[in-house]
Amino acid sequence: MAAQQLEFVVVLALALAGPMAALAAGTPADAPRHDHSGSKGLKVSMAEYAVPDIWLLRDDGRKVLLPRELDDGRPLVMNFVYTTCPGICPLMSAVFSQFQQRLGAEREKVHMVSISIDPEQDTPARLREYANRFSAGSQWRHYTGTVEASVAAQKAFDAYRGDKMSHDPLTLMRAGPGKPWVRIDGFATSADLLEQYIAVAAMCEPAKSAR
Amino acid sequence: MSGVRGWWVAAWLWRLCGLLLSPLAAHSAGADASVGEALYRQGQLPGGAPLGGERAEGGSVQGLRAACITCHRASGLGTTEGRTVVPPIIGKYLFRPHSTNVQDLSLPHVPGYRSTREPYTDITLARAIRDGLAPNGRTLSYLMPRYALDDATMASLVAYLKGLSGGAVPGVSDDTLHFATIVTPDADPVQARAMLQVLESFFADKNAFIRGGLRPMQASREIEYRVSRRWQLHVWTLEGPPDRWEAQLRKRLAAEPVFAVISGLGGRTWEPVHRFCQAAKLPCLLPNVDLPVVAEEDFYPVYFSRGVLLEADLIAGWMAERQVASDDTRSLRRLVQVYRRDDVGEAAAAALATAAAAAGMAVETRQLRAGAPERGDVAAAMRNLGGGDVLVLWLRPSDLATLPSGPPSVAGVVVSGQMGALERAPLPAAWRAVARMSYPADLPDRRSVRMNFPLGWLRIKQIPVVAERVQSDTYIACGILAETLTDMLDSFVPEYLVERAEVMLSHRQVNGYYPRLSLAPGQRFASKGGYVVRFDGPAGASLMPEGDWATP
Repeated sequence: MAAQQLEFVVVLALALAGPMAALAAGTPADAPRHDHSGSKGLKVSMAEYAVPDIWLLRDDGRKVLLPRELDDGRPLVMNFVYTTCPGICPLMSAVFSQFQQRLGAEREKVHMVSISIDPEQDTPARLREYANRFSAGSQWRHYTGTVEASVAAQKAFDAYRGDKMSHDPLTLMRAGPGKPWVRIDGFATSADLLEQYIAVAAMCEPAKSAR
Repeated sequence: MSGVRGWWVAAWLWRLCGLLLSPLAAHSAGADASVGEALYRQGQLPGGAPLGGERAEGGSVQGLRAACITCHRASGLGTTEGRTVVPPIIGKYLFRPHSTNVQDLSLPHVPGYRSTREPYTDITLARAIRDGLAPNGRTLSYLMPRYALDDATMASLVAYLKGLSGGAVPGVSDDTLHFATIVTPDADPVQARAMLQVLESFFADKNAFIRGGLRPMQASREIEYRVSRRWQLHVWTLEGPPDRWEAQLRKRLAAEPVFAVISGLGGRTWEPVHRFCQAAKLPCLLPNVDLPVVAEEDFYPVYFSRGVLLEADLIAGWMAERQVASDDTRSLRRLVQVYRRDDVGEAAAAALATAAAAAGMAVETRQLRAGAPERGDVAAAMRNLGGGDVLVLWLRPSDLATLPSGPPSVAGVVVSGQMGALERAPLPAAWRAVARMSYPADLPDRRSVRMNFPLGWLRIKQIPVVAERVQSDTYIACGILAETLTDMLDSFVPEYLVERAEVMLSHRQVNGYYPRLSLAPGQRFASKGGYVVRFDGPAGASLMPEGDWATP
């Protein structure tokens, strides 16, 4: 099952390499999308973000510098959540959980990042408990920090909406360091995420074939 | 007015038709709303099995996470999260015939309600719960799970929703909102008077705006604006030992029904009050207590912070950092704590002792006799201390004032700021030079602008500042209550008061002693952190934080 999916990922990645290379080259445009029922209003766009030097606290209690953490070479899939959120966050985390399952063995190559927007409440211990609830693998890390750091991280990705209860579902993806970001506004299903991930992963292909 | 009444009769007839035509009507007649309640509040099916719900996307949810209460909240009045709307699901909103005119005062606006939605019937409501379809056949939000309930269980749930948050609310009349405040017999009398003065003055202010009676304002087209109500304060002063408080509180509540408890002042324990509020389903907002009850699964009691228990965590964190930073890993060998029996320091010392023991430190506690300081008993507790000891003082100002002039030679001294009156602690100068203080508030220079609001208000009201922290916190609590009530419009449901406070708090800028206050479902301590500080400058008058604001 996992191997099949991986094959599928590679085939699609190659198929999409052409158009995605053009996107990677610059002009912001809407990436391909399909509306699934239940995920209406999904808006996919390309964006460039400058990530300032923000120190965050990872779920294992280690202090990490956000840009360094994001630039570890792996493709990134990122969202913003908080652990006492009643509705949207647990659903987004459930979707992340399904997404990592769908990735199968491929998931080891991905870095999944969930940053808390309620950092004073979400201590590393609470984040670990939350991650366990969603069977997060070692590739999926949760981050907290000071309020200022969390707000700065949200602002860096235009995700800050004033307070934790005003946030809207958002997922961000990137093929690797220096690559443009794909921004997915709205509730994305794990199928949506996989589709976007394949497109994003394709961005790496031209570089590989050139070698 | 007769137009409105006629409209209501029509609405009821309409509802009646719905009931009679429904195949669920047979079930409804005998439906047991308590089954619906267990489903709604615990996510429990009849027989105790966990409720399961399926989402179109994102998988399934079980038990409490599948329960209606998780999203639609205890009040059933729903909420909003960003642009996501969680609609109210109590009977009077679900079954209300659609209307474009805002005439119906019995149906105050809640953020999740759209008045243009078609009303539900028992049949379409069951379809919504089972198949996720709105009355007009549109698919409900991706957030709403689908539940495969049998007819009898469905009827119980529908019966429960019809009654939820629909009854008369105690403490709310056409023209008055009743609130209580609670003072325990062991509370500091000076602080109690100071707190009551703030409450009385705030309530008087509130009522001063109401002139010429309390008739609802009317405009053309029969739109009635909401009624502003008088606030009435009931002071519940308790007597005797703690085990007799709950009975007194129940009696007071029966005699003087109130909508909520605001502020209050405790002494060595608040537990009976906490228990009473939770059992009576009475919101108890932001009392002045040093030792709150840590039970965030309880819905109704809400506190400023974990008080001395937060301090215990702050000190544990500070000791851990000292251990790491120190060359000699055994530099902090023993924790010695001093507290007076029958005061809140006892619980804090127990919490810190557990943390220190887990970190491999030896632990010793020195308990002073209950009551007022005795000559020399604080000094006696300072004997037999050595270079590897951390001395932690869980003492009130009256005890700190009796410290011997010279501090012992130890690895560290930490004083509880919550108990010792923060920077006003009467520490002898030589102690000030070496001591650290756990400080569960924002630093004085950082809070000074925010403090202009409570202090300016006290000045205008000509209330002398005799207990700044208690007076400021009481004023902030009143402000939070007033703003939350404004947000609620006329939806006087006790649970909704707490839910709106959760949402409203994050927006506030005026928080007195606290850098920020924030709540959420399952969060009942609004300020989460603090500092460990040392005293600096001439006579130790200024505070230097030893690290960042910590949120242990």
